[in-house]
Amino acid sequence: MTQTSNFLLGLGLHAGAHGDDPDWRGFWGGLVGRLDGVAEFLTLEDRFADPGQDGLDAILLANWLAPRSRQIGIIAGAPLNFVEPFHVSTAIATLDYVSEGRAGLLAQRLGWQRSAEAGRAIGALNGFPAIEQPSLDSDALAAIEVVRRLWDSWEDHAVIRDVASQRYVDGEKLHYIDFQNADFRVLGPSITPRPPQGQPAVAVSWTADADLALARAADVVFVPAAGDLAGMAAKLRGDGPGKEPKLIADLHVGPDGWDASDLAAAIRTSAAQGARGVRLILPDPHRQIADVVDTLVPALRADVLADPPLGGHLRSRFSLPAVRNRYAAAA
Amino acid sequence: MSKKQIILGAQFPGVNNFTVWSDPAAGSQIEFSSFRHFAESVERGKFDFIFLAEGLRVREQKGRFHELDVVGRPNTLAILTALASITRHVGLIGTLTTTFNEPYPLARQLATLDILSGGRAGWNVVTSPGAFTGANFRRGDHLPFRERYERARDFLETARSVWRGGDFYASSPHFDIAGRTGWGPLPQGAPVIAQAGDSDDGRELAAGHADLIYSRHGTLEEGQTFHADVKQRLAKYGRSRDALKILPGANFVLGETLEDALEKQKAIRLQQVSPKNAIVFLEQVWNRDLTAYDPDGPLPDVDPDVAVEQLAQGRAARYDNRLETARAWREVAEREKLSIRELIIKVTARKQFVGTPAQVAEEIDRYVQADAADGFVFAPHLTPGGFDEFVEKVIPILQERKVFRQDYAASTLRGNLGLPEAWQPVAKAV
Repeated sequence: MTQTSNFLLGLGLHAGAHGDDPDWRGFWGGLVGRLDGVAEFLTLEDRFADPGQDGLDAILLANWLAPRSRQIGIIAGAPLNFVEPFHVSTAIATLDYVSEGRAGLLAQRLGWQRSAEAGRAIGALNGFPAIEQPSLDSDALAAIEVVRRLWDSWEDHAVIRDVASQRYVDGEKLHYIDFQNADFRVLGPSITPRPPQGQPAVAVSWTADADLALARAADVVFVPAAGDLAGMAAKLRGDGPGKEPKLIADLHVGPDGWDASDLAAAIRTSAAQGARGVRLILPDPHRQIADVVDTLVPALRADVLADPPLGGHLRSRFSLPAVRNRYAAAA
Repeated sequence: MSKKQIILGAQFPGVNNFTVWSDPAAGSQIEFSSFRHFAESVERGKFDFIFLAEGLRVREQKGRFHELDVVGRPNTLAILTALASITRHVGLIGTLTTTFNEPYPLARQLATLDILSGGRAGWNVVTSPGAFTGANFRRGDHLPFRERYERARDFLETARSVWRGGDFYASSPHFDIAGRTGWGPLPQGAPVIAQAGDSDDGRELAAGHADLIYSRHGTLEEGQTFHADVKQRLAKYGRSRDALKILPGANFVLGETLEDALEKQKAIRLQQVSPKNAIVFLEQVWNRDLTAYDPDGPLPDVDPDVAVEQLAQGRAARYDNRLETARAWREVAEREKLSIRELIIKVTARKQFVGTPAQVAEEIDRYVQADAADGFVFAPHLTPGGFDEFVEKVIPILQERKVFRQDYAASTLRGNLGLPEAWQPVAKAV
């Protein structure tokens, strides 16, 4: 049986309420302890404004998990239509500092119902999109652009600590991003220096009939494993010489157990179609996590996944190219 | 009768000239290792809380980025939540604006911090200058200056409804929102609320809503006057005198002897006010380009320019009456024969406790027992080791004097501050 080398195994969880267990710290502390060194990455979906399911802010949870782990990549979700891109950018940059280069952003597009609920939870405000598809689509793209530009708004080595000239920072290496569209403007620069990865990986969950522009703006795209992966990759690639999309196949692990050989077969199929890795989605992690870590992951490793987690900067694990700072003067 | 217990907050050295970066001992302002060092040190010292200031736009001077001081900081809530993960007892208070946040997302983030820290979250509620900071946010300069406290008060009431858990709802001039959260009562009921405003509006907001005041009144007499004024406002909100703690910001310099400490203080002040920085401070009042002036020479003989827009942007300190300030500074400089740099060192000084560890401990205690303060929020001048010596030498003396805890007594920040363990709603002013 052929094993798939450098194929990534991640887990998909949400930061919302998990059953009636009020011991949030015990649950998350225990979970990251089990997953670190076992899974390559963890995605934390934010249940912003999900009535009754709404729990922890996913980016803050990620910052809490980072010092308790050494290896696992942490991709934290944010509903970009309903929050400030400036705050998201600095919080993910902070996660990248705290985790020493293991941070990613899951750019969440909420479904129709959730968007309406999120709109009620923040109120109707200038500078935020109307709750209608075209506005939400273009706003999410704009927010990603702002978040990314802010990460570049400090060049590497902007902090010079030059006693002779009495200057702490070289102002020439800070840059306005001056983003503006019909709805809002962000001037910059960030208040947070460029994060260790430069550009933490931006991920989206995507299906073939969803917003293509958003998926193209991302570094990593989560897609249903049952879909036509090769077709989706072609669609993402488009005509141009654009970047090669990094597809990760989503596999749902049923709450009532699984058949490891079925999952292994699905992984093999995804890999053959060009997926870079797989994300196991656990609907009921409280009950599932012990079995997944103790039984399922070892079975998959023995069968189809050759390598233990790679470690290092999260971008490099997804084979994302090194990024050049858009504002840095060409060398 | 047992003595009043001292409250101690530890401010992470931030984005201003008090943080000395040119010293060989000055470490990174952004690497997590610096925050870890700082947090572990102050928790070893049994401090009540860590305190972070806020600045949401890089400061500018004459239309250029200000280069002379430390700049660059993490996201406040993100770094506090990371610190919650590596500490067990120390409180975590962040300064967060009500102007460029919305109640539901911010209250939810503070709830997250309270849950993940096991009840150690605190919020220093501030308002932000509109157009300058607003340039980084969706809503831009959305709030008339006179409404900033009204929005802050509404914001707090709305946040409390989110913190209660379950259904939340607000319908007020500033907020019209509704939803349902998935958490029950928070570990502290509500995060500890701090307030820093010094105006009459700010003091009322604090008397009605806050648990702590971060004040600027550092001298004994000013402190006593402020303390008395704020405490007498509590009764009309049905609150006891103990329900609100007053904590001036302060600095310290330790030495082997008093003379040694004074020498160190002088050296630190020279590092904090570099020659170029002295000119920048002067420009804030004069509002003109003064780069041609010698920092070691006399003050300019021209008057401030009051006609044009302010040159300095993004600083907390503002000089509203420039002509009057300039006149007063000239008077001091002439009387004491001070150069520009010497004058700036003098007029920008904050409350400092200077001396041997025993002298500093005694002086802190004297202020607190005399009701000039209930404690202090100290900001050291060095990152990340600025508290190491204080923790090693001053804290044990305070403990021997039986005015500071030997160990944490409660699991929540509220409990350690001597506040009721969970927040109780207070009556509106009558």
